[in-house]
Amino acid sequence: MTTVFLKREVARRVFAKELMSSTYTIRDESEKSPLYVLTPLGLKCNRVFIIGVLTEKEERGEDGNIYRIRVIDQTGSFIGYVGKYQPEAYEALEDIDTLTLVALTAKVRVFEGETGKFVTLRPETISIADPESRDYWVMETAVQSLERIREMKKGESETAKLAMEVYNTDLEEYKRVVKEAVERVMEDYGEFDVEEEMLEEEEEEEELELNEDEDLSFEEEEIDLTELLKD
Amino acid sequence: MDRVEKLAEQIFEDYKDYGVDRREIVEKLKKLLIEFRVPENEALRTIRNYIIREYGAPATIRREKITKIEEIKEPNKWVTVKAKVIQLWESSSPSIAQVGLIGDETGYIRFLVWTKAKKPPVEEGKSYIFRNVVVDDFGGVLRLNVTKISEIEEIDEDIKVKPPEDVSEEVEVVGALVAIQQNSGLIQRCSVEGCNRVIKMGKCPEHGKTKPKDDLRIKGVLDDGYRTYEVIINEEGVKALTGIDLEKAKKIAEETLDRNAVLIELKKMLLGKYLRVVGTATPRYLIARHVEFFKPDIRKEIEKVRALLEEV
Repeated sequence: MTTVFLKREVARRVFAKELMSSTYTIRDESEKSPLYVLTPLGLKCNRVFIIGVLTEKEERGEDGNIYRIRVIDQTGSFIGYVGKYQPEAYEALEDIDTLTLVALTAKVRVFEGETGKFVTLRPETISIADPESRDYWVMETAVQSLERIREMKKGESETAKLAMEVYNTDLEEYKRVVKEAVERVMEDYGEFDVEEEMLEEEEEEEELELNEDEDLSFEEEEIDLTELLKD
Repeated sequence: MDRVEKLAEQIFEDYKDYGVDRREIVEKLKKLLIEFRVPENEALRTIRNYIIREYGAPATIRREKITKIEEIKEPNKWVTVKAKVIQLWESSSPSIAQVGLIGDETGYIRFLVWTKAKKPPVEEGKSYIFRNVVVDDFGGVLRLNVTKISEIEEIDEDIKVKPPEDVSEEVEVVGALVAIQQNSGLIQRCSVEGCNRVIKMGKCPEHGKTKPKDDLRIKGVLDDGYRTYEVIINEEGVKALTGIDLEKAKKIAEETLDRNAVLIELKKMLLGKYLRVVGTATPRYLIARHVEFFKPDIRKEIEKVRALLEEV
C-alpha cells in the first residue's frame, strides 16, 4: 500500500511588525521546496492566517483588475494584492467595505524593489471576522511569537541562528511589541489599567502614521505587477 | 503455559530460523531445571551454547522484543517497534527534527525524533526498527520519542500496515478553517449498494455512470498555526454550523439553477472561522463527529500569554 499524502504549508500566526520586517528568503534542501520568508524571529513561512482591519482597498492594474489592500493588526500593517486570478478572494473582497474586520489566509511573497526587499501578501481567502475571533487571533499569535522569541534566546535551531545573523534581532523590542498588542485586547476584558492604556493608544496612532509613510515610499517604486500572475 | 514451556518458546523464537527442534529444547530445559535444579540463566546459557555449536547459529543473536503498536497503551515505557513511516509532518519546533506517524500491522502511533538525538532522517514509505524509544503522553495522545540513546535501523522488509479506515483516534482540534475544497457543498454519491463514492464528472470512479444521490459535506483544511488537518464535516455538522441541511441545499441549488451556489454560500459563512472539532483522526483525515464555532475563553488565553511573557 502506498498512500500519498499531500503536504500543505501551515498558515503561520505572525504579527505585521514581524512579517513586514522580513527581507530574507530561503528554500529547503529538497528540490520542490517552496520559497519561504525568514522572519526576524526565525520563523520560516510561506502562508499566514491573519485577522485585522481592512483599511484600504484600491483598484490597481491596467484594467483595475487588481486590488491593493492594507490590513492592520495591533502592531502594524500588512499589504496585499488580490487579482482576478484568485477568484475566491477577489469576489469575496468585492463585497467587503473598508474599516471591516477581516480574516485572511494568504501566501507570502517577497518583492525586490530598488530600496530593498519587502513582503506582500497574496490572499487566498478573505472573509468578515468578529471581534472575539480577532481577540483569539491576537492571543494565539502572541503565544506563537513568544515561543519564537524563546527559541531565538536559546539560539539552538538553524533558523534561529540564521535569523539572528541576518537581522541582529532586538528580542526585547519584539517582546514589548507582543506585550503591547496583547494589552490592547486585554482592556476589553478588564485586565488592564485604563489610564495607562489610553496613553498607549496615542502612541499607537503615531506609530501607524509612521508606518504609512514608510509604505508610501514603496508605492513610488514601479512594481511589476505581472509578477503577481505567477504562482 | 508453564515456566519451562515459556523459556523454551523464547529460545525457539530466537533460533527457529536455524532449524532447531522445539521438543529437543523443552527436554533439555526440563532436564536442567527440574532434574539438575540449575538456575534459569545458566540453563538458558547452556542451551544457547548448545544450539550455537550444533546448529551453527551466530553467537550474538540479539534478543529483541518487538512491541506491536496496539500493545502500546501507557506512557513512560521503553519499547522497540518495527514499523513503517506513514507520514511526516512539519515540525512545529526547532527542537524536534522530525514528527509524524508510523504504523505496523496492528495500528498507528505518532512519533517524534528530537533534534538532540542527532539521527539521520527517516523517509516516508520506508520501514525501520525503532529501538529503545520511550512512550510519552502529549495531551492525551501517546507518542514514541526517539532520543539520543534510541536507535533507528532501516530494514528491507516492507511492513504491511493496517488499512487507515480501521484505525481511529479520538481528538479535539481548534483551528481556523483556512480552505474549503472544491468537492464540497452539494455533492453526488454513487447509489450502488455499499459504494457511496463521490461522483466526479458524472461518473463513479468504480461503477461509471450510475444513478446519483445527493449529499452535503465539507472537505476543508483546519489550521492551528502549527499543523493542518484535512477535515471532513458531514451533513449534520454543516447543518449545526450554518443551518443549511440537505433539503435546504437542494432548494438553494434549484432556486439559483446552480449546484455550486451552495458551496459559495458555505464558503462565505465558514472560511476564516475558528472551529472546534471533536472527531476521529485517521492518518489522512479528521472526520468530524461534533463541530461548532469555537468560543474562546480570552481570559485563559491571556494567562497563557502572561506565563510566556514571564518565561522569556
